[in-house]
Amino acid sequence: MGRTDRGVSRRDFVKAAVAIGGTSALSACLDREGAPDLDTGPEDLSALPARQHAWNESLSRDDAGNVTAARHHVLLLLEYAGEGTPSEDDRETVEQALRGLERAYPRSNEGLLFTVGYTPAYFDRYDASLPESVDLPRPGALAPFEDPKPDEPDALVHLASDYGQVVLGADEALRGKRETLNDVDVSSFGDVFERVDRRTGFVGAGLPAENQDVDGIPDSEPVDEDAPLFMGFKSGFEANQASEDRVTIQEGPFAEGTTAHLSKIQLHLDQWYEQDSRYQRVGKMFSPAHADEEKVEGVGNNLGTDSGLDGDQDRTLEDARTKGMVGHTQKSARARDENDSPLILRRDFDSTDGGEAGLHFLSLQRTISDFVETREAMNGTDVADQSAVGTRNNNGILQYLTVDRRGNYLMPPRDHRSLPRPDP
Amino acid sequence: MDSRQWTRRDLLCASGAVGVGALAGCSGLLEEQSTNRNPSVVENRPDAIYRPSHVEGMEMIGMQEAGGRMVGLMYAYAHRFWTVTGSVTELVQPGGDVHLMASVWDPDSGTVLPVGTGLSVEIRTDGERLHRRSPWTMLSQNMGFHYGDNFALDGEGTYTVTVETGAVGTERVGDFADSFGESATAQFEWEYSEAARSEIPFRTLDDAGDPGALDPMEMDMMPLSFAPSTDELPGQVLGSAEAGDVHFAATVVSGDDGDAIAVSPRTRYNGYVLPAMSLSATLDRDGSTAFDDLLTQAVGPDLGYHYRASVDAVESGDELTITTDSGPQVSRHEGYETAFTDVPDVSITAD
Ligand code: HEM
Repeated sequence: MGRTDRGVSRRDFVKAAVAIGGTSALSACLDREGAPDLDTGPEDLSALPARQHAWNESLSRDDAGNVTAARHHVLLLLEYAGEGTPSEDDRETVEQALRGLERAYPRSNEGLLFTVGYTPAYFDRYDASLPESVDLPRPGALAPFEDPKPDEPDALVHLASDYGQVVLGADEALRGKRETLNDVDVSSFGDVFERVDRRTGFVGAGLPAENQDVDGIPDSEPVDEDAPLFMGFKSGFEANQASEDRVTIQEGPFAEGTTAHLSKIQLHLDQWYEQDSRYQRVGKMFSPAHADEEKVEGVGNNLGTDSGLDGDQDRTLEDARTKGMVGHTQKSARARDENDSPLILRRDFDSTDGGEAGLHFLSLQRTISDFVETREAMNGTDVADQSAVGTRNNNGILQYLTVDRRGNYLMPPRDHRSLPRPDP
Repeated sequence: MDSRQWTRRDLLCASGAVGVGALAGCSGLLEEQSTNRNPSVVENRPDAIYRPSHVEGMEMIGMQEAGGRMVGLMYAYAHRFWTVTGSVTELVQPGGDVHLMASVWDPDSGTVLPVGTGLSVEIRTDGERLHRRSPWTMLSQNMGFHYGDNFALDGEGTYTVTVETGAVGTERVGDFADSFGESATAQFEWEYSEAARSEIPFRTLDDAGDPGALDPMEMDMMPLSFAPSTDELPGQVLGSAEAGDVHFAATVVSGDDGDAIAVSPRTRYNGYVLPAMSLSATLDRDGSTAFDDLLTQAVGPDLGYHYRASVDAVESGDELTITTDSGPQVSRHEGYETAFTDVPDVSITAD
């Protein structure tokens, strides 16, 4: 109702522009966002962190102190355009392009954050193999009810910023459409890479509500204005994320790097918003105790810096047997290490690519096995086997997501980020 | 009522050009709304299986073999149902145009393969995806266990419905041990028209609210989810007991790794299997406990869907007590939503 005469809000527009990309989208973004007065990046790049994924200290924090994700994202899936293995010249071209981005913008949510990762398929170009200190299998299905296609380009570039125009500008520069960014000279990937896919998204209060006019979300505009994600709840509390240290590779030539898992997930929230009650939504997202005790107000900002599990993870099976449902958070929190830390650092964001509500689930972990273990905990197959909870029904949020693609990447330390050999 | 269902005709009625056809459409609309296919929920429902407000038919869209199993797809009027989490039942108001149902069974034994698969459905029309979701696992009086949900369609026309069965994750025993471990896909072309939908029979009931259940429907070639009768159960049948409208039958079967107690709960009246319960059991022998553990779900061609646990042995005089930690966590069609929430323990003594 009334949807058609709703004006396009500024942020809505920026999100749409990020999704479309291109020079006209960029100038449109500039019109809408204004041109923020951004510093340039450092002239001397030697002080930048060794870890590409060291983002947290340069991201902003919310009132409770949780790290807040940058709001706009672009993922570039790139194929090496040459034959065989890359040359030193190719390596130099890529490195120069990345350095250009670093000089153009400060390394922060207001400026630009980016990472580059490489697939097992990329390393297969070489006779040498990756060292034992890197755990990077080819992607595959991780649940008995999914059949994802593998993403196997050579490389993945992730661009993130609070400003749509910054990610778009970087995107344009890498493909040679711009010679300067923020008045700094930049260069492109030239003909080293071919783009095989470009995925976009957003995360943060307000953006999902403004972009809910897509398939997979009922027409009643159910997404809360304060929600950072389509499903309506705050995610990424400090205590429920692995630290950057926890996900960093500790030994070998790729020490200070990490691994990334990227899945493309479609959301279907008709049942979630039209058939489930608030009680069920809270129970399925967090835990039945959260629902019974009404622990979650609104989107859950009241929870502070942790999801308020209070040991609910240890009651997963009991809840499954007596409450008939288990929470996504509760179940996933069974994958923790000896220090009670989660194994993965989630940097996921929503998407409206293809006109469908989706989620690009990007997570960092020391080994891909850490991700697999976490996903197994989230599958809760063990719980379903021993209780009334179904394979997907009432089993956290599994019923509302379909994983369409999965990919694994090594995100080398900054020193080796440009077309690395497996034995640098 | 989902407004989308009526939008087009509402528009037609509101438009200035009120021809005969448009008028007929409007009065038809009024009639359909007042004699809508969702009469009010029965007042004073008993906490038990009861005769619902109405009985309605359903229409077969198609049946197909996929991955060694049969997949059947049916539809009916969109109607209300109740989701269940623990002992909480939530009314889901009818929405959309149709209630779509899928059933999956083993063609050799006729055993309906319930839950534990994560089945999903995709609906496409004109090359566009309209829906993709995991329908609810459900129990209805005339059909028993199935997968179902209400869906809004994009008017009359041709729809392609793809059912992805998922792998049967529930433990598979007997001849099922090596089957159904992979997901399978069945695709149906469906010509939908409102006229055809309106021909689906529908009747309100005078004895709505009385204890009892609708008769199981008869569908050619499609088995319903009946549990095997107690005397047909394999193994050494211990007996049966009834509580809270659940009829529990128990038997001891021997398998590769020793004996197992198998408990087969089914609905009173119609004898449908009751999936997705949390059951546990104890075995008392001369005042001491010979067994005390959870029962887990399994499915086989002779036992059907059941709950089981390994035991050393069951001796004559042993008392088996079955505890229902939670009733079947499947959504319910009318007449089942108030039942099975508080099932008392039952005991069966071995001869
Ligand atoms: C639409 C998709 C998803 C949504 C909306 C979602 C939402 C949430 C929420 C609200 C929490 C609790 C609060 C917090 O983040 O601190 C959480 C925790 C978590 N989720 Fe998800 N999630 C999604 C998908 C996934 C996926 C695909 C995984 C992969 C395994 C995952 C893994 C986790 C983990 C590991 C935790 C923290 C558990 C702990 O405390 O140890 N989530 N998620």
